[in-house]
Amino acid sequence: MKQHLGRQSGVQKVEVSLIDGKVDVTPKEDGQIDPSQLLKATYDSGVTVAEMDVTARGRIVKDTSGGIALQFEPNRSFAIAPNEVSKGLEPLAGSETTVTVRGELYKKSAGKKKADTSAPLKLLILEVQKKE
Amino acid sequence: MEMRKLALLILLGSSLAPASLAQIKHVEMRVEGMT
Repeated sequence: MKQHLGRQSGVQKVEVSLIDGKVDVTPKEDGQIDPSQLLKATYDSGVTVAEMDVTARGRIVKDTSGGIALQFEPNRSFAIAPNEVSKGLEPLAGSETTVTVRGELYKKSAGKKKADTSAPLKLLILEVQKKE
Repeated sequence: MEMRKLALLILLGSSLAPASLAQIKHVEMRVEGMT
């Protein structure tokens, strides 16, 4: 799995902890990494992803459905799932403020063995680390 | 002419800077079935 993930574009380093089943992926400097691709690659290597968390820096923008999204590359964004933390980010939509957030991008549904990795990922913000 | 080049560079730099700041910094997964 480590080799499989290490071959994905934008991946600089992969650390695997067998004891607690944790996989840490460090993106390359340019941060051009695709989490949905990582999710798929992990499944393809024969293990089940129970949870995926990301730390990302970007701008808050309004998305087409009226909610907010984190834009982390010029043309890429994650829709933000509404919760108490995300409410505090709503006023920043469309502003020049850059935020660094940690959030849950994927969680395996209870009872499901295989996830639908093609479904769009939504970011559930757990923590706002920085506003610049 | 030099001034035009400089202005173009500043314009280009300012448009690229925010994009380079916006990125995924870390991904952490919890997996099951690892041997």
